[in-house]
Amino acid sequence: MPETPPMTPPMTPPMTPPWTPFALFGALAVLAWGAAALDAALAGGRWPGIVTGPLRGAARELVRQRRRTVMPDVPLVRAGVCALPAAAVLAAVVLPLGERPVADLSVGVVWFNAMEVCVWWALWLTGWGVNSLHPLIGGYRFVAQGLAYELPHMFALITAALGAGSLRVSEIAAAQRGLWFAVWMPVAFAVYLVSAVAMAFWGPMDRPVGSDIAGGVRAELSGPDRLVFEAGRYLLLAVAAAAAVPLFLGGGVGPALPPWLWTALKTVAVLAVLVWARHRLPGVRMDRFTRVSWLVLIPVSLLQLLVVGVVVL
Amino acid sequence: MDAWAAVLVVLILLAGGVCGVHTLALLVRLPGTVEAGPFLSGNRPREHALSRFHARWYAVSLLFLAFDMEMIFMYPWAVVLAETGAGALVEMFAFLALLMAGVVYAWREGALRWA
Amino acid sequence: MGLSERLLRYAAGRPRPLLAGVPHGTRVRLLAEAELTRRGWPAARSPAEADLLVVCGSPGAALAEAVEVVWADMPAPRARADLPGDLPPERVTAALDGAARHLADGRAQRLDVARRTGRSGGDHGQDEDHGSGMGGPGGLEMAGRGPDRDGLALDRLCLPLGPVLPDWPAGLLVETVAQGDVVQEARVEVLGGAGEERFWDEPWLEAARGRSVTRDEAARRTAAAHLDSLGRLLAVAGWDAEASRARRLRDRLLWERAGGEIAGDVTRFTRRVRRSRTLRWMLRGLGTIGPAPGRDGRVRGGAPDGPGTTGDGSAPRGPGTAGGAPGPAGPDRGDVPGRLEGWLARTEAALRGLGDGTRLTGDEGPRGPVGGRPPAASPAAPPVSPVLSVLSVMPGLLAGAELAAARLIIASLDPDLDQAPSSREAARA
Repeated sequence: MPETPPMTPPMTPPMTPPWTPFALFGALAVLAWGAAALDAALAGGRWPGIVTGPLRGAARELVRQRRRTVMPDVPLVRAGVCALPAAAVLAAVVLPLGERPVADLSVGVVWFNAMEVCVWWALWLTGWGVNSLHPLIGGYRFVAQGLAYELPHMFALITAALGAGSLRVSEIAAAQRGLWFAVWMPVAFAVYLVSAVAMAFWGPMDRPVGSDIAGGVRAELSGPDRLVFEAGRYLLLAVAAAAAVPLFLGGGVGPALPPWLWTALKTVAVLAVLVWARHRLPGVRMDRFTRVSWLVLIPVSLLQLLVVGVVVL
Repeated sequence: MDAWAAVLVVLILLAGGVCGVHTLALLVRLPGTVEAGPFLSGNRPREHALSRFHARWYAVSLLFLAFDMEMIFMYPWAVVLAETGAGALVEMFAFLALLMAGVVYAWREGALRWA
Repeated sequence: MGLSERLLRYAAGRPRPLLAGVPHGTRVRLLAEAELTRRGWPAARSPAEADLLVVCGSPGAALAEAVEVVWADMPAPRARADLPGDLPPERVTAALDGAARHLADGRAQRLDVARRTGRSGGDHGQDEDHGSGMGGPGGLEMAGRGPDRDGLALDRLCLPLGPVLPDWPAGLLVETVAQGDVVQEARVEVLGGAGEERFWDEPWLEAARGRSVTRDEAARRTAAAHLDSLGRLLAVAGWDAEASRARRLRDRLLWERAGGEIAGDVTRFTRRVRRSRTLRWMLRGLGTIGPAPGRDGRVRGGAPDGPGTTGDGSAPRGPGTAGGAPGPAGPDRGDVPGRLEGWLARTEAALRGLGDGTRLTGDEGPRGPVGGRPPAASPAAPPVSPVLSVLSVMPGLLAGAELAAARLIIASLDPDLDQAPSSREAARA
């Protein structure tokens, strides 16, 4: 069982090696690209199209003519679009790349949560700003989705924090040296995975950008805006998968291999599961899911929290 | 490097990336701006899309706010639970039980059903 | 500007096509879809995303106007492939090749840009028809208010669905009034295309004209028609993987002349769809067509009584599929999952007729009798095409539905407008 955490002075995070920000970007970019390639491969794509596809798409958006809808709120749209990758990357700064994150904040879990909630803002602003009905509906869909997934998500995070008795992500990872949290708090882990799909509006939870509303939030985006939005979407998916590793899968702990490699392997595994879920499951609408979320997911995650709380005492 | 400085570096890298994409697009893109209508399956709009939107799940958002406030207490609680002992656990779950009673009430009133 | 040209060329290696379906262009649409899948060009969902517009068929005036609107909204680089309904397969391939070449051609793209700015002068050149709305900002009115189903006074927006929309029945226009994302009222219109072709009914029509058609051909067509509908419904339901599987099976049946060996793959597909609890959970209770006679018995009479009754229901649905073929013609009673199940069962039943070389008789096409059926209320009246009974129930089912549900309902009814009386003859509620 987790030992009591070492008492470090609050709010003075340890020093960070200067290469970590670059490593974070490199790792996230590779993961995001890999997720796109795996998604294309599962959709029946062939080599090398699955890896060049995103590049060709990027090339198209770069040469795109500018396009404006009737009276859009351009600053709002641009802020929303840029907030998407920003939220993803900032949420990732507390995740250990091996042993050390970019910023080992003592309130890392809260930070992750706060950054990830910015995605609500990003999607809604983008959907609202272009003054077009399909994106507007997509934006509202995502807010409804947020109301459904966010609380189970937070309870899952708190359960991991409670298990380690710390909000510092590296300490949560370290607390799992004996046993992964995914093993002795499986409900919290499962709830986290569901909420990860929802927060990255991916796969079955992609209705805010669904094809039934012509691409939803991103329906009117073209050019660099679309490029940044799509990149942000895959970055967010990668971050959602990466967060599962220190929170539930023991972080960099593992035999033989160095911690960074274990972290990478576990992240790839979670990411692959999330990508696969998109092909395995049909879309989930919030008018049906909300009830399940509030009446099943929240109670079971509270029960899980209670169990962990009793064990910790 | 100080942790916050590292976060700043991350932000600068991101901003640089986004600005780089926009600058590159500015240099290589085809000229002119397309004044498009919003996509309405090949029809032109009759009015602006921005409107008093029927957010039919607004009752859920109120419910959510109640819980969200409560989460503020839960973060520090998770850290100190092991020290403060069973009392803290009982208190927190009594509080959560009250909130869940609210959820059950809202559910019975049909707040979770809107379609 | 060497970099610009190089990027154009590179991007043109994988265009994002937006398909515009046109009535009587079903065959060419299927050919184009199969070819796009083969090339791995992923479909776009909106003009902002697309750089290739594929018009499948020869649109009539109203539909052509909608296509022009979408074309005008596509930023360069853009290319267009107009595929008339009678285009042979190799010309479809050639047209797509030509479009890709056009996308890669920097000079042609710049010429297109120059021509466009010259013509529209940078403002909304195409907006002749927004009528009274010139007073508002940007030439548009703000939305007006009206009472909604929950007793609130909320903005009412006109949200036309179709005719150019991904995974949408060709030629259908559903003019809805929406408050938020709730459809308050819907009006259905048919935008026609040139031609007479009714691809899905073709074997039966040919047989009726006295030509020799095998039951194998009819079985193939029936299964492919249902797989096409299934592909559309599953795509709207957000299950791209199974949607593309359905379409792939459809293409194998139609163009690769797959034989009995396809049955195993179809069974795997139907089993996966049937087993999906999520899908059932999402579709349950949507678009229920009640057991009671319709509000408008006039056209609803065109649909026979529920399964299990004698009379029309006992007629074999397809050749070689007599028995085990559930459901009546026209829209199936029940809800969306019921209609989904009907398609799955009929696909499996039709496959049993593969390889049957005997001559086709009867006129029971995939969507009911190809010659139509006289209304039940007055058997002496002239027959009514199955599509009209579908269109007549649609507005009633859509009123009060959320947009996602509305799209699922429309996809589950999947009217084949090749059957509709041509060109902008409204079938109104």
